[in-house]
Amino acid sequence: MDVLLTSTAEAFRLLFSGNPEIWEIVGISFRVSSMAILAAVPPALVIAFTLAYGSFPGRRFLISLFNTFLSVPAVVIGLTLFIILSRQGPMGDFKLLFTQTAMGLGQFFLCLPILVCMAHVSLQAADRAAWETARTLGANRLRAFFTVLYEIRFGLTAALLAGYGRIISEVGASMMLGGNIAHYTRNIPTAIALETSKGAFAEGIALGIVLLFLAFVLNSLLQYVQGKGSINP
Amino acid sequence: MIENFRIGFREISKSFGSNQVLEQTAISIASHDCIVITGNNGAGKTTLLRIIAGLEKPGHCEISLDDASPEPWRRLRKRLLKSVMYLHQQPYMFAGSLLRNIEYAARLNPALADRESSVQKAVSWAGLEGLESQSAASLSGGQKQRVALTRARLCHPQVLLLDEPTANLDSESRERTLQMLREFRDSGTAIVIVTHDPGVFSDLATSKLHLQDHRIQADDIGAADVVELDSVRQSKKR
Repeated sequence: MDVLLTSTAEAFRLLFSGNPEIWEIVGISFRVSSMAILAAVPPALVIAFTLAYGSFPGRRFLISLFNTFLSVPAVVIGLTLFIILSRQGPMGDFKLLFTQTAMGLGQFFLCLPILVCMAHVSLQAADRAAWETARTLGANRLRAFFTVLYEIRFGLTAALLAGYGRIISEVGASMMLGGNIAHYTRNIPTAIALETSKGAFAEGIALGIVLLFLAFVLNSLLQYVQGKGSINP
Repeated sequence: MIENFRIGFREISKSFGSNQVLEQTAISIASHDCIVITGNNGAGKTTLLRIIAGLEKPGHCEISLDDASPEPWRRLRKRLLKSVMYLHQQPYMFAGSLLRNIEYAARLNPALADRESSVQKAVSWAGLEGLESQSAASLSGGQKQRVALTRARLCHPQVLLLDEPTANLDSESRERTLQMLREFRDSGTAIVIVTHDPGVFSDLATSKLHLQDHRIQADDIGAADVVELDSVRQSKKR
């Protein structure tokens, strides 16, 4: 118990003293995860929209496939991309392995199914008349698409927050694809794993506090957004 | 004022799986028309409107514009979406205020010279003054109907399709809706109304049709050829 208390106290001291190494790790985490989710949002919305409004053979299969991807462990995505990006792999020439780009790719594929599935559910729950009204008023497909997205903005925000929460805290893919290189690919979860294995609990707890704080902020935002979309006046 | 036009829909067929809804039927719509269509539940009235609006893909349909030779529905779909407006039985209100809903339509019409004053004129035309900042979702059924018609007015459609426009409206809202529709018709817009209560539109209608056995039948007017209803229209207008 003493170890936990002293380590936690030391963790807070590290955070508030502005320890550059800790904040550099936090910065890498946010940068990589933010780029990954920003890259995943446009294709996810297009896929979700096509699945919700399209009518084509294989649609149900694709929906099942994306739902299945929700439960794929991060290490499996990490392993698959590792093989593809490694020197003998089909994309080995790009030399992306153990870079932030590789970590971002892993996180992209982790959050894509979450964004697709949650956006798809929101679109299915939305009134189809929104799309039809926009179209019959003369809006082109793109305009009508953005109109419908605005109508389901609460559901989309929830999807965004859930996706971000998933990738900022994942360790498997980042460890395999980034290699946990100090000052370059070491992010919060991989640093926690490393510090714990070294017995440096204070650093691990400090980073854990940042993740917990982030989770709290994301959940508070979600509550706020869902409250705005409440059916109660 | 809408210029004179005529749109003929021929050989309209549509089925949902094994359920044949429309079979080789036809309808002709011209400026100043007000066509009232009746039919039992599931007869295909709404499907027909949605095909005319360009929202529902038919199994087969050919369209002739004015005197031009017929073209497939697919080729003219964009044109239908631009010139035909479909109003749902319960008009959809976009999130936000009543004003946002009306401005949305105004922004889609590049022909409007002064958008702001056009919106204000349209709001007062519909008697919606004072409700501009109210959430559109909280409006009554009659007010939503007026918002939908106001949006239509700002888009100047050639054809206005209405699915049960007076269902669940009180007599005052019904009268107001009829007055607004009359103004649309007088300005040249063709109106097609699907209803279970054709008596409401007896003063407005220029022709009445009945949808039965997957086809449009002439009703009350005794015309054999439902495509060519000109004489009926002319006599009604007179």
